[in-house]
Amino acid sequence: MSSLLRSLRTPRGFSAPAFLAYLAVIGLVALVPQFSRKPLILHMWIMVFLAIAQGSAWNIVGGYAGQYSVGHAAYFGIGAYTTMLLLELHQIAPWYGIGLSMLNAVLLSVVIGSITFRLRGPYFVLASISMAEIIRLAALHFKDLTRGAEGILLNGIPPLETPWFTVKFLGKVPFFYTSLGLAVIVISVTWFVQHSKLGYTFQAIREDQDAAHSLGINPTLHKNLALMLSAAFTAAAGSLFALYVRFIDPNIAFGIDVSVQMVLICIIGGIGTILGPVVGSVVLVLLSESLRNPKWLVQAGLLADSSPTVAFIEARLSNAHVLFYGVLVVVVVLFAPEGFLGLLRTAVARVKKRLAAKPTPPSQPAAAA
Amino acid sequence: MAIFLQSLLSGILVGGVYALIGIGLTIIFGVMRVINFAHGDLLMLGMYVTWGLFALFNIDPYLSLLITAPVLFLWGVLLQKVFINRVLNALPQNQILLTIGMGLVMSNAIMLAFTSDYRILTTSYTSSAFQVFGLSVSQPLLYSFLITVAITGALFWFLQNTDTGQAIRATAQDRDAAQLMGINVKRMSVLAFGLGTAMAGIAGALLAPTYYIFPQVGGPFTLKAFVVVVLGGMGSIVGATLGGILIGVTESLSAVYVASGLKELVVYVLFLLILLFRPAGLLGKSRT
Repeated sequence: MSSLLRSLRTPRGFSAPAFLAYLAVIGLVALVPQFSRKPLILHMWIMVFLAIAQGSAWNIVGGYAGQYSVGHAAYFGIGAYTTMLLLELHQIAPWYGIGLSMLNAVLLSVVIGSITFRLRGPYFVLASISMAEIIRLAALHFKDLTRGAEGILLNGIPPLETPWFTVKFLGKVPFFYTSLGLAVIVISVTWFVQHSKLGYTFQAIREDQDAAHSLGINPTLHKNLALMLSAAFTAAAGSLFALYVRFIDPNIAFGIDVSVQMVLICIIGGIGTILGPVVGSVVLVLLSESLRNPKWLVQAGLLADSSPTVAFIEARLSNAHVLFYGVLVVVVVLFAPEGFLGLLRTAVARVKKRLAAKPTPPSQPAAAA
Repeated sequence: MAIFLQSLLSGILVGGVYALIGIGLTIIFGVMRVINFAHGDLLMLGMYVTWGLFALFNIDPYLSLLITAPVLFLWGVLLQKVFINRVLNALPQNQILLTIGMGLVMSNAIMLAFTSDYRILTTSYTSSAFQVFGLSVSQPLLYSFLITVAITGALFWFLQNTDTGQAIRATAQDRDAAQLMGINVKRMSVLAFGLGTAMAGIAGALLAPTYYIFPQVGGPFTLKAFVVVVLGGMGSIVGATLGGILIGVTESLSAVYVASGLKELVVYVLFLLILLFRPAGLLGKSRT
């Protein structure tokens, strides 16, 4: 009995208020489609959820294990292609397809990891990029398997039938909930990574690989474990993205921009933290979608339909979102290397310090007297 | 046999320009240990300057080198002073991200200014060729190669025989020791980034007559520059020259004997093999 109780003991780092707040936020977000079903608003949310899933998945290997892979498009793309090909060519429903795509990505990550993890620092970065490029070029070339640059267009997703309910994948609401679910799962996995023994080994490798090695941690094994976890969820995000957008080609799925975006999400939010990718995703998606399609601001009621801002953005800035990404990255690296979350933390610390310092001066004269 | 010799020759000619790109990257890396992920975008800027001079003033692309190179040199100096200088002691990851960000800003600013249309710079000799021993030698590629050889030679002489050149090499060898010897290390870093940028710009100018010019053209060249530099050995100029020519030849031979769509794939596979089995490159000292 006592051993059972011990095993039910709350895990390390668990705090009830934080957990309740997490559940409350998820609950509130899940209610969004009840209030607004405007397609552009839901689209924004879906893009944010998918970005959170990708960013958090990258964060496991990039933020916690400290291995800056700039080749995660390989896993994103393999996920997208596995699910799409299985569905289009073999009529295998996507809920099985996503599982298989995650498995596929894990297998790929073992191959890529065992090659690239023999290198460190900038050499690792270069190797990871070229791995993703090799796969992109192969996907473009081997048309029999992937249809090459023509891409894969999805005709439809079969309805999911369970004994209790049937889900038809029409409109945006089903994607809202599936992508929210994925984001919640990946955030939870990150939480476990941060607080588990496995996660501690990742962080030890990030801080000093040689020291970690000397303490009996096998760096190659643990880096590979981090990459496998990361690859699996990146592939799930890639699958959902492909199903949602209904079209993929080698550049959309395997392009280097995909890899870079995952890194940017974490850098801008705050690398190696649970909330960093969430903050980064909100910032990046709001920025890029507002510039690409400012009509959502109208649907959100923030701007009038005839607003000159919308017309200006559509006419002049619709291609500028990557420019803003670039500026944001430069500014963050130079002035806030710990991301928005780091800025927030220092600001809070400063306020706390000021609050703590304030009451003391009036009491001092009294003490002196 | 004729096909083999023909593709070998064009590989060597193209490889010369790759060597130039690699040399720029390797100087920057050697002196500052910063890996410049914006290198291809600097090359793209060189292309656009050349194209602009040609389109506006009808200046021959090879003649416009006299303007392109100094302009890009100054641009590099500016970038170093404003951005790179601040991250010299930062984590390598942050340096990489900073240069990626700078590259995004440059390519997308050009895209906003000139749209993403493909531009072509057509001169009277763009598609003409010399016939030598039954092999045809593309005129613009040959001119580019000769200019590359001249510039590489001049740069090599500069680094070997002038005081400034020696100071740059000393900084690359050991930054702290160089500083103790009274070398202005900061100035050498600025010079190195300027030189590297100018090299990328020259390569862009030389590619302009034979290549499509568009804002995203830089990305593949950044990667290719890394391949060249790693192949030759990070920081080694002779190595980068050799690496460039080797990559050019590999590309053109695999385009003929494997598949034209797979030539870059072959190059990346070669790159990974080198990284794994001879990480110091052909002529580099062991990396630390």
